[in-house]
Amino acid sequence: MEDFTVNLLKNIPSHAEVRQQTARTRRVSVVGGNLVSNMSAVSKGVCARVYKNGVWGFASKSAADERAVKEVLQAANENAILLDSRKPKNIPELLGAGTSSYVEKRGFVETDQKLLVDFAREIDEYIVSKYPSLSSRSVGIASSCIEKTLHTSEGAYGYQLFPRVYIMISMSAETSDGDTVELFDVFGGGEGYFTDYYSTPDKLYPDIDVMYNKLMQKREGVFPNAGERLCIIDSSLAGMLAHEAVGHTVEADLVLSGSVAASNLGKQVASPLINLTDFANEAFGKKAPLPVYIDDEGTKCEDAVIIKDGVLAGYMNNLESAMHFGVKPQGNARAYSFSDEPLIRMRNTAIHPGKDKLEDMIASVDDGYYLVNTQNGQADTTGEFMFGITMGYEIKNGKIGKALRDTTISGVAFNMLKTVDMLSDGITWDFAGYCGKKQPMPVAMGGPAIRCKVNIGGR
Amino acid sequence: MENLKSAAKYTLDALINGGADSAQVSVSEGKIEEFNVDAGDFSLIRSVFNSSLAAKVIKNKRKGTVSLNQLDKEAIDIAVAECLAAADASVEDDALSIATKEENCDFVDGVLVPDKSVFFDSIIKFCDDIERDYPEIMLEQLIATYSYGKHIVMNTNGVEFTEEDGAYNISVMYSAHKGDESTSFNYFDVDFLDPASDIMEFDMVRTNFERAVKELDAQSFEGKFEGVAVFAPACFGDILSTVMGSFAGDFALIEGTSPWKNSLGKEVAGKDFTLKVIPHSEKIVCGENITSDGYKSQDYCIINKGVLESFCLTEYASRKTGLKRSPSTSSCIEVTAGERSFDEIVASIDKGILVCRFSGGEPANNGDFSGVAKNSFLIENGKVTKPLTETMISGNIAAMLKNVYAISKETVCDGSSVLPYAAFAGVTVSGK
Repeated sequence: MEDFTVNLLKNIPSHAEVRQQTARTRRVSVVGGNLVSNMSAVSKGVCARVYKNGVWGFASKSAADERAVKEVLQAANENAILLDSRKPKNIPELLGAGTSSYVEKRGFVETDQKLLVDFAREIDEYIVSKYPSLSSRSVGIASSCIEKTLHTSEGAYGYQLFPRVYIMISMSAETSDGDTVELFDVFGGGEGYFTDYYSTPDKLYPDIDVMYNKLMQKREGVFPNAGERLCIIDSSLAGMLAHEAVGHTVEADLVLSGSVAASNLGKQVASPLINLTDFANEAFGKKAPLPVYIDDEGTKCEDAVIIKDGVLAGYMNNLESAMHFGVKPQGNARAYSFSDEPLIRMRNTAIHPGKDKLEDMIASVDDGYYLVNTQNGQADTTGEFMFGITMGYEIKNGKIGKALRDTTISGVAFNMLKTVDMLSDGITWDFAGYCGKKQPMPVAMGGPAIRCKVNIGGR
Repeated sequence: MENLKSAAKYTLDALINGGADSAQVSVSEGKIEEFNVDAGDFSLIRSVFNSSLAAKVIKNKRKGTVSLNQLDKEAIDIAVAECLAAADASVEDDALSIATKEENCDFVDGVLVPDKSVFFDSIIKFCDDIERDYPEIMLEQLIATYSYGKHIVMNTNGVEFTEEDGAYNISVMYSAHKGDESTSFNYFDVDFLDPASDIMEFDMVRTNFERAVKELDAQSFEGKFEGVAVFAPACFGDILSTVMGSFAGDFALIEGTSPWKNSLGKEVAGKDFTLKVIPHSEKIVCGENITSDGYKSQDYCIINKGVLESFCLTEYASRKTGLKRSPSTSSCIEVTAGERSFDEIVASIDKGILVCRFSGGEPANNGDFSGVAKNSFLIENGKVTKPLTETMISGNIAAMLKNVYAISKETVCDGSSVLPYAAFAGVTVSGK
C-alpha cells in the first residue's frame, strides 16, 4: 500500500499529499445519574491534496484501500486543474516542502468501554451521596485517538498517533433567590490513554471537594462592577489569552486577510515581560501537552516564536504562507478529519512564566478581580477578544473577597498586553480544548498568572 | 438506496441475533462539492465522498450506541459487537426506547444533481460584485458548498424512512479594511436551491457589507447605561438557540435547571412574541423530514403569543420527565413578524444599541449573559449613530423575553430560519 501510494504520487508534477486516518472515539456521559451517552465511534478514510500553480484540489473518501487512494488522488488533481483553469494564480512552484520522516514508536491502545462507564458512575455516586443538595451534576469521559499516515510527493513520510483523554465534571446549585449557579472543570488527563492518567475514582475526590466548595462560594457570589479593571488572570486561563487573543491574529492566513498582526511585525505589541511561543513538541524542558512532530504538509515541526520580549517576532505558517512571507515553515498545517484539508493551526501555545509569586500579585491589588476559571473564548482578527469567566473573586485591599457570578472579560490583545506588569513563576496547561476554524482541532494552551487591566462585564 | 437498506437490515439482524431486545439504525451516503475563497482569492476545490452508519441497541433496558463510516460486513460486524458490549456495560433505564411505527415514508427534497459549473459562475460573480460595489470588504473566507445525501432510518418496530436531498449553501466571513484600519469580522450563511442565484441580492447581504464599511469609523464606548438593545436577525437567532437548549431542551428539563420548568401554558414572553419550529415551511431549504428519534418530523409552536406551548424534547427526555415529545428535532425556526418597521422601532428609542453580532460566554442556566457587542452601533435620539468597539452588553435572556420592546415587520430568510429584528428593554451597555 505504501509503495503503491508513493508510486502514484510520482505521477503528480507538483506538490501533493496523500493522508490516511483512523479516528477512534469513546464517550460516556452521566447526567443526573442517567447514563445518557455510552458510545464508541470509528471514522476511517483517505484523502489527497494537489497543488497547481497557486491553487489546490482536494478529495476524500471513507475507504482506505488502493482503489480509494487512486480515486482521491485523481479527483484532487482534477479539482486543482479546474480551479487553475478558471481562477489562475500563476505561482508554479510551492517552495519549502519537507522531505523528512517521523514514525511513532507507540501503538494504539484500546480502551474498555465498561471501564469508562463504571468509572463515571462511581464518581457520580460519590458526588450525589456527599452533596445531595446539588441541583444538577454531570460526569463525562472523552477518550479519543487519531492515527495519521502521510506521504508527500517530495518523499516526506509521517506516522503519528494523537491519543487524548480527560474527565469533565459539572455541578449546579440553587441560590437563596431561586437562581442557579454552575461550575464546570476538567479533572486530570492529557495526551495518552485512560489508564495512563486514571487509576481509581477516589483519587479525584479531593479535587471534586474543592470544586464543590468553589460552587458554594459562587452561590453567594456578586456581579462585578462593569468597566476596565485591574485583574489577576489566573494561570489556568492564561492559555486562553495566548490562544484566542494573540494566537489567532498571528495565523498567517488571517494575517493575509488583514488581521491586526499584519501591520505590527517587529513592533512592540506587549509589555517587555511577555514572551509567547507556539511549541511543537517540547516546552520548558518537558514534552508538550499535545506534541506534533510532522505536520500534514510533511513539514518537520519546530517551535514558532510569536512574541519575544514584547515584540511581535513572527507568524504561524503553512508552506504557502511561509513562501509568501519568505520564512521557513515550522509545521503548523494540520487537518482534523481525513475529509479535511490542512489549515494553519496552533499546537501548544503559551505565554512564558515570569518571576512573581501569585500571592504577591494578589496582595498588590487594592481594588480589582482575581479571575480563575473560563469555559469558552473567542477572538477577532482585530485582536479584540472575550472569555466567559465562570469563577472569580473580588480583590479588596490585597485580599481575596467575595466570589463572582458568571461574567465575561474582553479587551484588545495588543493594548491589554501592554498593561501587563507582573507574571507568576508557574505555568498551567489546558489540553482538553478544541479550537474551531472551519474544522475542530485539539490544541493545548498555557501560561502563568498575569496582572493586567481588562474590561469586565457586570451589572 | 438498496445498498443502504441492505446495510441497515444486516445490522439490525446482527444486533437481534446478538441478543438485543430492540435496535434502530441510520445509514447514510453522500457527497460534498466545495469551493473555497481565502483572503479574497479562490484557493481550493474540495470533494468529499462519505458514508456513515449509526446504531442504537437496547438490551435488558440498557443502551449502547456506535457509529462508523464503513458499510462493509466486516466493519459492521465489529461495530455490532461493540454496540452490544456497550449495552452490556451500561445501566438499566426505563426511559429508553426506539421509535414506534406510524406511517413509513420516502422523502425526496431539493436538487439531486448539481450544476457545478453554473454554481461556480455564481460564486465568481458574487466575488466580482463585492470587489466592484464594496472595495473595502475583504472576504476572509468564503465556503460555497453543494451537499447531497441519501439516508435510511430503520428499526425493529418496523419503522422505515428513506430520504434523499441536495442543496447549495454559501458561508461568508468578512471584514472591512482601509489602510491599517480593519473592522471586526462578521459572517452569514445561506441555504438555497438555484445555483444561478444572485447571491449579492439575498436578504441582508448588502446591508451586512454596508454596515461593515461604516464600522471602519468605530470608536470605543465610554460609560455605562441601561437601554434598549435591538438585535439583528442572525444575532437574535443565536439567542434563540440558547433559549431552545438551556430553557426548553432535554438536559435543562431532565436536570430541572430550566427557568421555564414550571411554565408550560404560562406567559414566558411578551404578547407579541411567537416562536415556531418550521422544518416543512416552503421558506426552509431541505428541512428535517425525520426526527433524530426516528419519527416523521412536523412543524410546531414553542411560544404562542407569549405563552409557552411546548418544550423541545426528544423521546428520551419526554419519557424521563413525563412531558410531551416535540414533533420535530429541527432547529429551523420562525419568529412571527411584528407591526413596526426597523426604522420606526429605532426612531422610538432615545438610547440603545443595535447588536449585529454577540461574542460572549455561554449564558448561565438562568439566562444571565454578558459579552462583547460586535459589529454594533449606538442608537441615540431615534437614530443609528456611532459604530462601536470594546462595548459590552449584559442582561438576562428570560427577563428580556418578558420585556419585548418591539419585533420588526421585516424578516430575514436564510433558508434555515425566518427572523425579524427584535428589541428588548433593560439591557446594560458598558464601555471603558
